[in-house]
Amino acid sequence: MRFVSNFPYGRAPLWLLVIAIVSLGLRVATSRRREARPDLVVVTHTEAQFDAYRKAIPRFEREHGVKVQLQFANWASLQARLQNAILAGTEVPDLAEVFAGSLGFFTRGPVEDIGLLDMTDRLHSDGLDKRLVESRLSLWSTRGRVYALPHDVHPVMLAYRRDLVEALGIDVSKLDTWDKFVEVGRQVSRDLDGDGVIDRYMLDMRYDGNWALQVLLFQRGGQIFDQQGEVAFATEDTAQLVLWYLRQARGPQRIGYECGWGQPVVKALTDGLVLFHWAPDWRSWIFADEAPGLSGKMALMPLPAWTPGGRRTSTWGGTGLMIMKQTRHPDLAWALAKHLYFDTAELGERFLLTNILPPLKDAWNLPEFDKPFPYYSNQRIGQMYAALAPEAPPVYSSPVDDAGRLGLDRAFNRSAEYYARHGEAGLLEEIRAQLAAAAADVRRLAGRERILVKGTL
Amino acid sequence: MSGKVPQRPSGRPRYKGKAPYLFLSPYIVLTAVFFLVPFVNAILLAFYETNGPRSRVFVGLANFVFLFTDSVFRRALFNTTVFALVSVFIQLPLSMALAMLLNSGGDRVKGFFRLVFFSPNLVGQVLVGIVFSVLFTPRYGLVNRAFQMVLRWGLEARWLSEPRLIMPAIVLTSLWLWVGFNMIYFLAALQTVDKTLQEAARIDGASPWQIFWHVTLPSMRHVVIFVVIMSVIGSYQLFELPLTLLSESYGYGADDAGLTLITYLNYNAFRCGDLGLGSAVGWVVALIIFAISLVQIRLGRIAEED
Repeated sequence: MRFVSNFPYGRAPLWLLVIAIVSLGLRVATSRRREARPDLVVVTHTEAQFDAYRKAIPRFEREHGVKVQLQFANWASLQARLQNAILAGTEVPDLAEVFAGSLGFFTRGPVEDIGLLDMTDRLHSDGLDKRLVESRLSLWSTRGRVYALPHDVHPVMLAYRRDLVEALGIDVSKLDTWDKFVEVGRQVSRDLDGDGVIDRYMLDMRYDGNWALQVLLFQRGGQIFDQQGEVAFATEDTAQLVLWYLRQARGPQRIGYECGWGQPVVKALTDGLVLFHWAPDWRSWIFADEAPGLSGKMALMPLPAWTPGGRRTSTWGGTGLMIMKQTRHPDLAWALAKHLYFDTAELGERFLLTNILPPLKDAWNLPEFDKPFPYYSNQRIGQMYAALAPEAPPVYSSPVDDAGRLGLDRAFNRSAEYYARHGEAGLLEEIRAQLAAAAADVRRLAGRERILVKGTL
Repeated sequence: MSGKVPQRPSGRPRYKGKAPYLFLSPYIVLTAVFFLVPFVNAILLAFYETNGPRSRVFVGLANFVFLFTDSVFRRALFNTTVFALVSVFIQLPLSMALAMLLNSGGDRVKGFFRLVFFSPNLVGQVLVGIVFSVLFTPRYGLVNRAFQMVLRWGLEARWLSEPRLIMPAIVLTSLWLWVGFNMIYFLAALQTVDKTLQEAARIDGASPWQIFWHVTLPSMRHVVIFVVIMSVIGSYQLFELPLTLLSESYGYGADDAGLTLITYLNYNAFRCGDLGLGSAVGWVVALIIFAISLVQIRLGRIAEED
């Protein structure tokens, strides 16, 4: 106690010192030795993929005599943290799955800043470029190089209430162009009980354009960015598409109604409020999962074409597997990527669990892809999606991807405001002007990106 | 180090040597590392274009020039200012009205409703945003159904995709979220108002409005000024609510109708990796808040002097 009273600066500093020493001691005593990092770490953000890879990885580990750790992460945090970790040079997983539209985010700035392994030469030397749906590499390419493996094709069809459509006497095989589809849509979209509210619509259409507009844009062969990453949406064809979309989604003879997501879609499907819904392969599984009561009452059909004999599908979404440049085992990581994505022993069963069509064309001959699917009135949906997959349009990327999508939406919504105020008079000119203005904004942002790449103002 | 402790004229001991600084060093080091360095870095960053923490290019004032010539930034500034004005002129009067209503009730009623009105704050903005995005569903959403029942309008209202309805949707959600929160401040202030002054005014024939305006409000002006300043600051930092309500467009909303300054900052700094531009936005927001707060404090002083 004498020591306490004799401590030169009083009791408080002494106790602070004691607390500091004890804390430090506890920290040292309780710190565990860090477990050795496995040979490879792979991160995914989708539950279905996590389950599939968990099954597939043990065989890879046995065959290669290595240890692989599979991690699950929330998508938004994965993207932001991964990019920051890459740029900051801190620890990153060896492989990571990301969503389409994020490549620009990871490949911004000078080439030397790109923290992803360039897969282009490996794809060629393994002959994979010939075995995959070619257009899917566009999603994962920038400046002519491929930085991720495509997980899917995501061809788009329309899912519809077969029972209701047949009861209305609609023959879907005749709905092979959008003109015919709209014509029938105008007959069936109506107020059935006379209360002034339309009770049945033909098609689920986003009110503000967004993904539905993009799906149609890609189907027409349009793009938000071209192969060189330049803004490409300010064209006459896009203007015509926006005009068409506005008429169908907001016009006096509209056929479209936005169903939203989750329960509202299920309700709209169950009530028969909207007859036809966008169904990329992944969403065909969601319908079956969320509205199981409609089993046998649903069916799929290819998208109507814009011109007779034209493309009957589009694409919506996508996932890719990137390998980090920092990986200590690039060859092993490449082998794991191929094992997870293109091992035909796994792909058949995986299709039955997710309805997602892989981009590997050889896999489509597996028996699982030819099985009838009871939910969709026993249609062989694997074969239906596979038949459309080669037509799936490419989608190109840019470091200002998000800005491009937002720009297109902005042009659409401003045109819609004009339409609401002035109707069709001068509408097409307004759409053209809005598209041009939005494209100029995106170019301005892209100009900043060029400063970064050049390294000077 | 000497054990002798020279005395200051005030009688408080003055220590010599390195020891005091040694004891202070953890605080100084932590402050320097986690406050001063980032603060100075944030100032410098605003003059660079960056690709995350790796590449940076000195661009001088180009970030600020870009901001003030960017129509999207101007829209964000406009939206945020509208929201701040709504906070001050709709949200706070509602909070005050609720507080006065509760203040006139019994203690049990007061306690119950205080909890009821405050409880939205317990769940956080993200959850509220997700819940309201369902409530605003056209045709099936609770809000749409309620509007249809009461006003015979709104069944098909597209709260989250029609540009002119997006800000009202954010405002409605924020009212549900924050009216109760600010009410607690006002309720606490109302309970400190001298009842004898109100009684005297009543005896002198003042109307309830006159009592409120000339007696109650001046008596709680310090709290009112504080709440107004905090509301304006909070409004200029609005972020999570629009982001979750309008998650498909990164919080922008159709025609940028839900875009706020912090959403713009977040998008540019963390989605695009341009920390320099994000930093410039941050400084602009800080300066706006600083200027508005100064004006409010000044107005408060003038009111006090009157």
